Amino acid sequence: MRTLITVMIKELTETFRDRKIIINGLLMVPLLVPVLILGMGALAQSRAEIQLESELSLPVLGADYAPNLVAYLSTQNIRIEPPPADVEAMISNQERDVILRIDESYADDWRQSRAATVEILFDSSRQDAQIPVRRVERALEGYSRQAGAVRLIARGVDPALNQAVRVTYRDLATNESRRGMLLAFLPYLLILTAFLGGAYLVMDATAGERERQSLEPLLATPASRVAIMSGKIAAACVFGMLVLLLTLLSFKLSFTFVRSGPFAGMEVTMLAIGKLLIILLPMVLIGTALLTLISASVKSLKEAQSYMGILMMLPVLPTAILLVNPVKNALWMFATPFLAQNQLILMVLRAETISMVQWTTYLGAGFGLGAVLWCIAASLYHSERLAISA
Amino acid sequence: MIELTNLHKCFKTKTGTVTAVNGVSFRAEDGAITGLLGPNGAGKTTTMRILYTLMKADQGSVLVDGLDTTRDADAVRRLLGVLPDARSLYKRLTARENITYFGRLHGMDEASIRTNTDRLVEELGMADFIDRRTEGFSQGQRTKTAIARALVHNPKNVILDEPTNGLDVMTTRALRDFLKTLRAEGRCVILSSHIMQEVGALCDHIVVIAKGRVTTQGSPDELLKQTGESTLEDAFVKAIGADEEGST
Repeated sequence: MRTLITVMIKELTETFRDRKIIINGLLMVPLLVPVLILGMGALAQSRAEIQLESELSLPVLGADYAPNLVAYLSTQNIRIEPPPADVEAMISNQERDVILRIDESYADDWRQSRAATVEILFDSSRQDAQIPVRRVERALEGYSRQAGAVRLIARGVDPALNQAVRVTYRDLATNESRRGMLLAFLPYLLILTAFLGGAYLVMDATAGERERQSLEPLLATPASRVAIMSGKIAAACVFGMLVLLLTLLSFKLSFTFVRSGPFAGMEVTMLAIGKLLIILLPMVLIGTALLTLISASVKSLKEAQSYMGILMMLPVLPTAILLVNPVKNALWMFATPFLAQNQLILMVLRAETISMVQWTTYLGAGFGLGAVLWCIAASLYHSERLAISA
Repeated sequence: MIELTNLHKCFKTKTGTVTAVNGVSFRAEDGAITGLLGPNGAGKTTTMRILYTLMKADQGSVLVDGLDTTRDADAVRRLLGVLPDARSLYKRLTARENITYFGRLHGMDEASIRTNTDRLVEELGMADFIDRRTEGFSQGQRTKTAIARALVHNPKNVILDEPTNGLDVMTTRALRDFLKTLRAEGRCVILSSHIMQEVGALCDHIVVIAKGRVTTQGSPDELLKQTGESTLEDAFVKAIGADEEGST
């Protein structure tokens, strides 16, 4: 235990004396958060405002077939433009988000009280087109309903008869859960920070020290190798948790400065920060133990760093899988690394209660996996080759 | 006292098996400096690594003050002060912090660490750089710090792998005097070198190693007698068998 603390203090002292590491490793993410929050919030807000409230330019093909419809659209904050020469090119070049085509038979159908055809042209793969398309749809529906009602009244029928079911909406999302949706990126950011926040320190403490040939004298001391390794892991865990704490505090602070936009009024309580730190602690342990394991098995620091690309992908996997195949929270999820953290962080952000069973399952599985990785790393630390750098 | 008996060590490489140590036996007495002399790649470093428990021998045994290095590795490490071939310091720590770190790893209390460090600082002449960060240290300052780090727990047996490597004349001299002090204190000192003059000037007992075997051993005088040469350098060349092969 004494060895562990000695090694931990030494590793932390060394790390904190390196100004570049402090800036890149410790402060970069916390400093990036306000930019992210304030910037993204402002961007999302101004975008939505522009798209919802500004005049929508709508090229219309065959405007002559339906002068009344076109006149109605003009009253809905939509500016009618003459049709382009090449419709598809205009959409694919993103010059316009949406184009309206009125069928030749529109006038005939209208006069015969048949459903007259109009066509909305857009690119469904473009996020940007969603709001303009909905606006055009809504305007057209409004016109259709109005004209339909007039027709029914003219025939002596109550337009309400046409409506067997009236659907109204009430959104039960709480404020917190709505923001949870907006903050879908937050779990990834936090998990990644937890997983790899201590990466520099832990890789340097094993692979780097080996490469600089200072591991040999260290391992020639009577201090137990497991204790030395655990000290290095502990130092990386402390560093990782510190990065997380700063990141979370930075979130808390950033939200207090947001006046408008989707993040307005959002608050991160100290309780939530505490919960998030507990949720992320096993992740920090898993990350540092895994990196120690890798560092002890490779020949150089460079080789160890080459694993970073793959490791950075790992936290994305559960989020990606859930995106394609959303499932309800089940207990097994809380035992699956990355997925568990993802779900729990979302639960905290939505201010949902995490049950005792979920807590124990999660912490048991998380620390269990960490312990397994730690054991493998410890066995690698006993290998003869580890100390021999040259 | 350190006793090595019939040590063997092989390494598996991609191209086949390399025998690094092939039956090395010798004895290093207390109050004497024993020199391992041999050309580069003779197996000196591997022999020493087995001796300070970093490697396990395929065959043979090492006894340090009667303790077996494989069975009582931890106890043996306590009895040894080791300056390995790889001796880099932590450059963001001061020389003193480097030394203190190792003292703590040896389980020493802070007071003894301080006393021992102060003594070594004086003996090795480290006063002007002891509290500086080791980044940018000269080779001599680095070696001195590494030696102080290795000896902070006041070990009875001292193992030094090529201690004078890369040092200037003045530092080498100072270091030799320091090693003589260690001998006078009754410690068992083993050092390796590929430089004849060095070993000749310091050692009471010389073990010549080539291609993983001990080709000859004895005091400098005995070595001259055995080889029938008039200078130690000629005796060394003859002992490692480089003469016959026509290589240097």
